[in-house]
Amino acid sequence: MITAWISTAVRLALAVVWAWAGLAKVSDPEAAAQAVRVYRILPEALVKPIGYGMPFLEIALALLLLVGLGTRIAAIVSGLMLLVYIGAIASVWARGISIDCGCFGGGGAVAASRTAYWQEILRDCAFLLLAGWLAWRPRSRLSLDNWLNPLPAPSSP
Amino acid sequence: MSLMSQKNDDGKRSARAKMLEERAKQDAKARKVRQLAAIGVALAVIVVAVVVGILIQSNRSSGYDAAKDAPAGAVGNNKLLIPVGASNAPSTLTIYEDPRCPACESFESGMKTTVNQLLGQGKIQVQYHIASFIDRHDGGKGSKNGANALACAQNAGLFHDYHDVLYANQPQETDDAWANKTVLIGLAKQVPGLDTPTFESCVNDNSFGNWVTAVQSDFDKSGYTSTPTVLLNGTSAYPTYNNEQISPANLIKWVDAANKGKQPASIPSASAEALASPTAHNSPAPSPSGS
Repeated sequence: MITAWISTAVRLALAVVWAWAGLAKVSDPEAAAQAVRVYRILPEALVKPIGYGMPFLEIALALLLLVGLGTRIAAIVSGLMLLVYIGAIASVWARGISIDCGCFGGGGAVAASRTAYWQEILRDCAFLLLAGWLAWRPRSRLSLDNWLNPLPAPSSP
Repeated sequence: MSLMSQKNDDGKRSARAKMLEERAKQDAKARKVRQLAAIGVALAVIVVAVVVGILIQSNRSSGYDAAKDAPAGAVGNNKLLIPVGASNAPSTLTIYEDPRCPACESFESGMKTTVNQLLGQGKIQVQYHIASFIDRHDGGKGSKNGANALACAQNAGLFHDYHDVLYANQPQETDDAWANKTVLIGLAKQVPGLDTPTFESCVNDNSFGNWVTAVQSDFDKSGYTSTPTVLLNGTSAYPTYNNEQISPANLIKWVDAANKGKQPASIPSASAEALASPTAHNSPAPSPSGS
């Protein structure tokens, strides 16, 4: 039973992370596009669609996790996104490019002394653990999923 | 009899068991359907959010039209650059600056006398890219408001003077004093003839907002990552040029070397005077932000 409550806490925590990340990027689409561009991974034609769309993907995940609808699929998509982010940060680090990851708004080039790659990767790994837990134990209290398909009552035979 | 009854009981039980089994099956099926529906709805929410988001954001950020959004006299591809000085000067100094950038302020305070002198002598034309990305890094609106106000000044033919006034009165990078447009309008009073109702409404209405966004977007794609970026005839001249550190004496030397064998542009003496000593020249006023 405690597992379902843990999953509730994890679900809400991940929802806050995505809401924060998404809302911080929504107000300035050009900045969001530039945050993507400076990774120098995507061709220019994809920079804007990805930069414009990503914050909305993050906000959509936040909403789904907040209400607990399709928790497992939301957790799986979250995990995949985090893996992509971790890979992208590791890639700029390996290529010696100096940028801010732009994970929570901002982004763009920074002085080499102001990069924080291992902190950013470690942080994303922590979020990945949350997503992993939720994909493994998506059943949680106070969720739409639970309302649609109630957990069996503990006293039922 | 007892055998019959036994059989009967068995039959009843198995019928009941069958019914329960059937119901459990149906329940499981219904659960499965609801589960799949939840997954479907979740995926639909994600896809719709992304598509709608991309449409909203591209709608918000498109629509720069050089013909009607650029300030008067802007030059270059899509009219994103502001020229100062004679267009037929033999050398071009390209300067990327953000109004809130402290390194630009030190470049200006160290070099503007020299740059203005070279302008007045007709040796160079300066082309300014007014970037506005500090707002992203530090939060706020000062860079964008400042860039728009500079475009308003350009439209009034007083860019050079107002540009020097702004750098002479730049707030600390972390102090977003220019988020308040009245501060920018207050600074315009230091440029004779600039503070008109037209200028004020231009600043207050963010009239060149589209242009400011387009200039920044151009800077984003330029590959240059910081301001000031200074180019002498396309070659980086900040902080060094041919392995020499930039300084007033070196900049003059570099320009003279680049102009070797070429005539400086001939500029009427009144204009030369104005270029060499714009309003703010060496007379920084106290900052009205009080910081």
